[in-house]
Amino acid sequence: MNRLSINVINVIVKITLLFLFLFLMNNSISASSYLDKKIDSLFVISSSGELKYRDRVEPAIEALANLGIDAVPRLIDKFTTRSARERLTIINILKKIGSPAVPDLILALSRPEKLVVLRVCRALGDIKDSSAVKPLINVSGHPSWQVREKAVDALGKINDNQADQTVIAALSDSVGQVRKAAVVASGRLKINEAIEKLIHILADNFYGARMSAIEVLTKLDTTRVIRSIADSLNSANGLTGDLSCQVLGKLNHGDAHDLLIKQAASESASRRAQAAVALILSDPLDNCSVRQSIIDKETDRLVLLKINSAIDLVSLISNEQK
Amino acid sequence: MKLFLTVILILAMNSSSFAQEKTEIEGLNHLSEYIGLRASDFSFREDYTEPDSLRLKVITELMKSPLDMIDYTSQFKSAHIIGQPEILSSVLFQDLARADQTVRYYAYDADLSEIQQSYNLHYTSEVLNQLLQQAALYIDVIIPRSTEAMFSRLSASQKNFLIRKFPSLIKIDENEVFLSVNAIDSLDKLEEEYADRFASYAYLINKDPVVDAGIGLLRQLILELRNIESLLKNNSVSISELLNAPSFVPDNFNHEFNLGKQSGWAIGGTDNDYYNGDYKFIIDFGGDDIYDLTYDPENPHPVVIIDFSGDDSYRSKSDFTLGSGCFSVGILIDLAGNDSYRAKSFAMGSGYFGFGILYDREGDDIYEGDTFLQGAGCYGLGLLIDEFGRDIYSAALSSQGFGFVEGIGLLYDVKGNDNYFAGGKYKDILRYDDHYYSFSQGFAIGMRPIFSGGIGGLIDMQGNDTYTTDIFGQGSSYWWSLGMLYDVEGNDIYNSFQYAQGAGTHMTGGILIDDEGNDTYFSKGVSQGCGHDYSCGILLDRGGNDTYTAYDLSQAAGSANGFGIMIDNNGDDRYNIKNPKNSQGYGNPRREFGSIGLFLDLSGDDQYRGNGKNNYYWKTDSKWGGGMDIELYPKKNSTEENK
Repeated sequence: MNRLSINVINVIVKITLLFLFLFLMNNSISASSYLDKKIDSLFVISSSGELKYRDRVEPAIEALANLGIDAVPRLIDKFTTRSARERLTIINILKKIGSPAVPDLILALSRPEKLVVLRVCRALGDIKDSSAVKPLINVSGHPSWQVREKAVDALGKINDNQADQTVIAALSDSVGQVRKAAVVASGRLKINEAIEKLIHILADNFYGARMSAIEVLTKLDTTRVIRSIADSLNSANGLTGDLSCQVLGKLNHGDAHDLLIKQAASESASRRAQAAVALILSDPLDNCSVRQSIIDKETDRLVLLKINSAIDLVSLISNEQK
Repeated sequence: MKLFLTVILILAMNSSSFAQEKTEIEGLNHLSEYIGLRASDFSFREDYTEPDSLRLKVITELMKSPLDMIDYTSQFKSAHIIGQPEILSSVLFQDLARADQTVRYYAYDADLSEIQQSYNLHYTSEVLNQLLQQAALYIDVIIPRSTEAMFSRLSASQKNFLIRKFPSLIKIDENEVFLSVNAIDSLDKLEEEYADRFASYAYLINKDPVVDAGIGLLRQLILELRNIESLLKNNSVSISELLNAPSFVPDNFNHEFNLGKQSGWAIGGTDNDYYNGDYKFIIDFGGDDIYDLTYDPENPHPVVIIDFSGDDSYRSKSDFTLGSGCFSVGILIDLAGNDSYRAKSFAMGSGYFGFGILYDREGDDIYEGDTFLQGAGCYGLGLLIDEFGRDIYSAALSSQGFGFVEGIGLLYDVKGNDNYFAGGKYKDILRYDDHYYSFSQGFAIGMRPIFSGGIGGLIDMQGNDTYTTDIFGQGSSYWWSLGMLYDVEGNDIYNSFQYAQGAGTHMTGGILIDDEGNDTYFSKGVSQGCGHDYSCGILLDRGGNDTYTAYDLSQAAGSANGFGIMIDNNGDDRYNIKNPKNSQGYGNPRREFGSIGLFLDLSGDDQYRGNGKNNYYWKTDSKWGGGMDIELYPKKNSTEENK
């Protein structure tokens, strides 16, 4: 074969290879484009809110979930949506896909869009896969409070104690919503180490943190909670003591009752009312036999009315149970 | 002596109203403390989502302290002075400031010399000429120049967008109900695109000069009309003398330079006149007149219509008529007679990138139309003031005190037993196949999450009134807005279905206040003091024996971290609720924490179907809420007082 023939063959082979490459690329692009189109089309139906199309929503969500990990990157891209309905639909689908979606979601935590990151945090919290704990800890110091809130919240939902210290630190965040998320996460993770901070949060400026702390304290080590509350009842901030009474009432414990009986004789009308009502709700049958004595000593009309309202309520519940 | 007694009476009334407001706030504080809350807890952050630059300052402040909605709304009781609609207009102009706005702008500063050379005096009456001169100064110079200032930083295509595309964000197509799921999705995306496009340059629009120019013109017209009316009343001048003109005018005389005779201007006497077309100025001194009016937004200009008396019929043949300021100023003043106003959309006190007012002083009137009517504002001020008479207001959508972006829409009715209806045309396809959007009667809305909304208010001072809406209305709002309905006196009936009677949905505030009378409230749900998604809804009834009925998530219900507050100060009331588990002092958990629902009845012998009872405090099994039916300061009986 002469040199020219070799060159010609060479060119033909190269051209053939190029066509083959383009053909494969095209097929791959077509496949990916087909998948994207399919996802987009199903997504329009799955996130439709109109009443007349509502029966088509659930099958579309199922179909998207059945696409599995192939659908995840496209769904994450859709997290840039400004529609609340679309956002909730994506989270719902990712939750159904479950753990297989987690690696892509973890990668998305480093995306620059705040909205995407916080929504990914939420999805990870709902999926509850512990492989997400460390990446979530890493974003728990994010400059956006919304991301910090969702990250801490997700850590609580995943319920892995690797996150304890992160959650405790978040109890002191400068933003109330993050502190609230940390309070709730403390309850989910049952972090007894957080008890003192949680009692302090009973006087938090943000009601969400404060009121959540009441419930969380009832889930933690009762003895330690009662001991810590006993130390804080005379706190300068009256809210700490008032809300502590609500916690003590929910604990339904003899030591808690003793503290409440003392508080029912407080100089503060608000404290007396909180303590007496908590005692009545906690001890509906008046096993402590203190109710009449509290009523007899009480001179404030409105405190008495609160006490009588609580007595009425427990009687009503008792009659309903009978 | 008479003056002294009046002063004493006013002081007594003020102190009684002050005492009442004090009790409301003390009551709220008292119940809050019992639940574990503080007054400072009633506050929303500005940054749940990215704040937009089109938010009104008033809205920003009220969201920081939503309980202030009570004071803000209450101030409208004394905001209007009979016969002086310009005062209320000026008050509202102040509230049109953007949150980031440090400087307010005013109308183009012109003087009479700018038109004196242009016109000859046709009429011989000095007072009429004075009115015409003032009108011409504003119509020819001040308003056009102020409009130029409003849009000076916009390109032609941006202005065209406002004329041709932007109204689709306010109107709804009746045929949407027949669209496929994909078509609805495309329509939603198109609206989002329009909203984005608008938001990208809306900050360049300066509405202040044209609104101020409109108020300035209104002020001048009212002044001149008062003068003319006084002369007519004293018989110092007759209408025919007012309309005196030279007996001989040559046939080929060019009227364009004669004041009052130029094109687009008309002056009518006491006959029954017919006006047909697109006018700039009409003054009619009597008779039962018919107005068939049109307006071309592609060729914007001021429109002033003044009718002294007669039972008139105002009809619109196009949008943007009858007291409609569309890229300009629209003023309609009807001083007497039982009138009927029938319009299409953007009418009867509509400020669409401008200032529009319909001021009807007397008579039993009928107002009827489609969308954006009867006190509606978008980038401007729309005001309908009706002072006397038994009136009927009917609209399909976004009317009767409606506020859109950077807009205030207010309907202010002073006297008479009135009937308000809004809805029945545009189906709420998202939620129901048998209910219709109202977006009316003190309602405001923004484009979530692209730009904030405005302020929509309906104020009715006296009379036994009936209010009917379906979905969204009666002191409610959506997305960084304020909706308020304030009825001062009379036995009223409030009827709605959802998102009504002091309701806010999605980072917003809604309030209904009724001062006096035995009132009846019905709404199916998310109503009667309900705040959903970082919103606050307040229903406050200060007096009378009232009846409240709702099915669910109502009567002090906080949902998705919202605040729902219901307060009844006085009277023997009856409360009915179908689902007490999420009403009457209920807070719903969302985002891993709760909402707040506070229910207060502060006196009277009341009946409950639900959670409450007389002389009772309750906390609901929710996050977080409760109620109380107690008298904070019990009235002393006469024996005790004698002691």
